[in-house]
Amino acid sequence: MINSILRFALIFILLLLFQVLLFNNIQFSGYVNPYVYIMFILLLPIEIPSWLLLLLSFVTGLIIDFFSGSPGMHTSATVLAGFVRPYVLRLVSPRDGYEPGSDPSMVIYGFRWFLTYALLIVLVHHTSLFYLEVFRFADFFRTMLRVLLSTFFTMTFILLIEFYRRGR
Amino acid sequence: MRNLLNFLTRHNNLIIFLILEGIAFYLLATGNNYHNSRLVNGVRGLTRGIEEKINNTRSYLRLHEINENLAAENVALKNRLGQLVRKENSLFFSVADSIYKQQYLHTSAEVIDNSINRQKNFFTINKGRHQGVKVDMAVISEKSVAGVIVGCSEYYSVAMSLINLDFKLSARIKSTGYFGSLSWNGRDYRYAVLSEIPQHVIVNVGDTIETTGYSAIFPEGVIVGTVSDYEKFGGDFYKITISLKTDFKKLHFVDIIANMKKTEQVELEKLFQ
Repeated sequence: MINSILRFALIFILLLLFQVLLFNNIQFSGYVNPYVYIMFILLLPIEIPSWLLLLLSFVTGLIIDFFSGSPGMHTSATVLAGFVRPYVLRLVSPRDGYEPGSDPSMVIYGFRWFLTYALLIVLVHHTSLFYLEVFRFADFFRTMLRVLLSTFFTMTFILLIEFYRRGR
Repeated sequence: MRNLLNFLTRHNNLIIFLILEGIAFYLLATGNNYHNSRLVNGVRGLTRGIEEKINNTRSYLRLHEINENLAAENVALKNRLGQLVRKENSLFFSVADSIYKQQYLHTSAEVIDNSINRQKNFFTINKGRHQGVKVDMAVISEKSVAGVIVGCSEYYSVAMSLINLDFKLSARIKSTGYFGSLSWNGRDYRYAVLSEIPQHVIVNVGDTIETTGYSAIFPEGVIVGTVSDYEKFGGDFYKITISLKTDFKKLHFVDIIANMKKTEQVELEKLFQ
């Protein structure tokens, strides 16, 4: 128990540093802003109580907001992602259900499962984030392009990290 | 009562979700003044040390370029000074004059945090209330428009960048004097859009765009950029794309301009609105 808390704290700090020091500085024509920190929400254990999941999402978003100077934006998008996660898990559940006490990782459930699972949550998160940032429906399709491009890059980085974790 | 309790236990996730989203939206809605809040300042204080270190290194690497710019500016100012001295002499103006009042005061500052990849971009500069910086002062970089101060703490200020969807500026074509409204469309940090110029006005690619001074924030005649493209839009008006003179990607030394007669102008205008 203590061990896994420590492990997730470490993942949390690493992802946070990655996001704040590296990905927040990626400036590619204003269309690509990868938000890899959302991976923390993806990696939490399957059986985590929903209230804890929501609370952790809230704290994650709040910290990212502090570092990028955008109050409430990341918080609300991340809380939404945390809220839909149980439904996504139910939607993509494998035929024999989940193994008790397992993490939603590529090692256990395979590449394709992880891809759909991560893609759905990242899409929800990015969609709400980018539309909240613009806060208007003018330029609807341009914002959608930003969502899709950024989702693509976020997914690439998430899969890379996940492959690296599997490799070890 | 029992039904209510049942309802609450069954939907407790939804309720927690709604409460947390409520807090988030509250932050989002009141966020415009967040730079004044102590909490954020405290947390930002932690990251500021690092930002200033990075910035010092960066400014050292750019010293050569900065020196050249300063030299050029010096020459320009000396030339102006020559003209002024002659004018003053001819008008007997250089007497110790207490009626003459300066309208604009300049002070320089350094940008220590900047963003260009969001839709609402801000930058932070290293002067604050203590150095006399106030909200609504103009920020220019190498004589072209950079932004407007929106929040001050004791030793730092945050300015809204020109490349921010909420930024509006009254600007005109220098050669003809027709003015319109300048804003950023959220696409490329190098371009902005000038609208409300009627179609009978002759516009050429390469025309200089400057501020009008109507807003009492920017002085008159500060350069914004040059016309890079124009098209007819919405019947009567042009939509003019402007290539900005300020390079927001390497914004570093800026001037803050205080309009000493701003209150006077605003109060007077208020009477007629």
